[in-house]
Order: sequence, then C-alpha cells, then structure tokens
Amino acid sequence: MSFENWQEQLRRGGLEFAVLLTLSGSSRYGLDIIRHLEESTDLVVNEGTVYPLLARLAQQGILDTEWVSDEGPHPRKYYRLTKPGRARLDAMKQHWDSFSRKLDTLARQSERNS
Amino acid sequence: MKLSDAGQARVRGYLFILHRSLASFMPGEMARESLREVESHILERVARVEDGADEKRALEQILEQLGPPLKVAQAWAAEITFDEAVATGRISPILRALGYAAMSVQGFFASLALFVGYVAGFSFVAMALLKPIFPNNVGVHLRDGIPVAFGAIFPVPPGTEVIGGYVLIPIFLFVGALVLAGTHLAARKFVAWWRGRLRGPVPE
Repeated sequence: MSFENWQEQLRRGGLEFAVLLTLSGSSRYGLDIIRHLEESTDLVVNEGTVYPLLARLAQQGILDTEWVSDEGPHPRKYYRLTKPGRARLDAMKQHWDSFSRKLDTLARQSERNS
Repeated sequence: MKLSDAGQARVRGYLFILHRSLASFMPGEMARESLREVESHILERVARVEDGADEKRALEQILEQLGPPLKVAQAWAAEITFDEAVATGRISPILRALGYAAMSVQGFFASLALFVGYVAGFSFVAMALLKPIFPNNVGVHLRDGIPVAFGAIFPVPPGTEVIGGYVLIPIFLFVGALVLAGTHLAARKFVAWWRGRLRGPVPE
C-alpha cells in the first residue's frame, strides 16, 4: 500500500467519527458541518462526499434529518444525533482514546529507541 | 451574490448530470432528496460570495470543491446503494448495485455473469414447478436415444422422447437452490469488493 492510500484510508475512516463529533453539540445543516470540518481538520477533500456519508448515517438511524425553510436564503437540511447515534459516538470515542493512546506510546518508544 | 442566467444554467447543467447519475441506481425519491440537498449547498455557497465578484470563477470554484457530478454520484453509490447491498444482502439493493457496476466494462461482464447465474437458478426452480403441470414437456429430451435438450420444451418436437419422472422435481429444486445460493454469495462478494473500489482511493 502506498503512503497516499494509507493516508486516504485514514482520512475516510476518520471522517465518520469527525462528523458525529461535529454533531455532538447541536444540530447542523450540511454546509455548516463541512465548514466546521474544514476549519478544524483536513478531512474534507471533496465537499460532495460528505453528503452521501450523512445520507448513509441517516439511513442507518444514527442521524435524524429535518428540512428547515424559514431560516436562510434557501431551505437547509439539518442533521442531529439520535439516541443510537449518541451511543455509537460514545463507543467510538472510547475506542479512539484507547487506540490513539497505544499508538502514541508506540511512537514515543520508537523515538526513544532511535 | 445573485446568479446571472448563465450562472443558473451552469448550476442546472451540473444538477442535471448529477440527477441522471443518481437516478440510475437510486430510488427516485431518494435521488430527488439528494439532489435537493446538493442544490441547497450550491445556492448557499453562492449566497456567501460577495457581490461584484467574478461570477464564473466563483461558481467554478464552488463546483470544483463539491467535485465532478459523476464523482459525487459515485460517492453516493458507495455509501448508500453498495452499503445497503453489503449490509442487508437483499436482492433488490444487490441488483441496483450490479446495475451501477455494469456501467463500466469490467462491471458489465461481472454483472452479466451473475445475471446468468440468477436466471439459471430460477430456471431450475421453474422447471421443478412446471414438471407436475406439464410432465410430458419437462425432462431430458432424447432423439434416437441421444440426449438433445434438457428442460421444458413446448411443444415437444416430433420424434423426441422425454425421459425423467417426478424424481426430477427434488433434483431441480436442489440444483436451483444451489445455483441461486452460489450466485447470490458471489454477487455479495463482488458488491463488497466493488464498494471497496469505489471508496478506495488512489489506484496502486
């Protein structure tokens, strides 16, 4: 696997987690989610790939959706975490904490040994 | 920024191609909903562009950030249709996913082979169902003692003898179920592999 492939797979794997984290506070519409991700991460390469991910999460019952038409210049589709979505996010957070801690330890050991 | 007629036509063109692509593998209602959301995204982005900015440049930048319509449709196929097919294994999403994959040369031949598998499986089951109704038409067809055909023929050509009694029914059912199960398993594996390809990034 090339470095680019590894990097891309890491990015794709992280995107779902990042989207759920973005929605952990309040409901947001598509562009708002994208802008938040763009400000705090470099996970969004093509904006058009975020919407299919949101649609899948909604289809799986992880997100709830609602069209709001009286807020902006155009109707906006809002997403918010459902109860199973919040449970999934909690599980992902726990897994991520343990996963990243172990990798950090490995990286520090490798630095000390080199 | 407010779009000129030319700008609106550019957006309509983008959405038209996207809708055509989405509708080829998605249920109509879902395709319309997805399109509405992308349209809302574009208009929202346009509304944030300052008045007096170069419209053509700003619009092209917005569409470029969104990605080419075929690429966006591909992302939808990977996330929705292929994901549903892999997760549920139901025949309807699998057939939709195969229909999408068949738009490429490699996918076309793979989908064709799987389609033939499904048809063969259903044919065996159909023969099992037809045997009790048309016992003289379904079986092994012999001419001068040499097998020339196998299955159901209407009407049986003169000089042809049909052999094989009701014992063929469980055999047809067994073979049909085996072929259908094998084809379906292969289709699920293929769809899972194709989804990986769609999501997969840079070809090695």
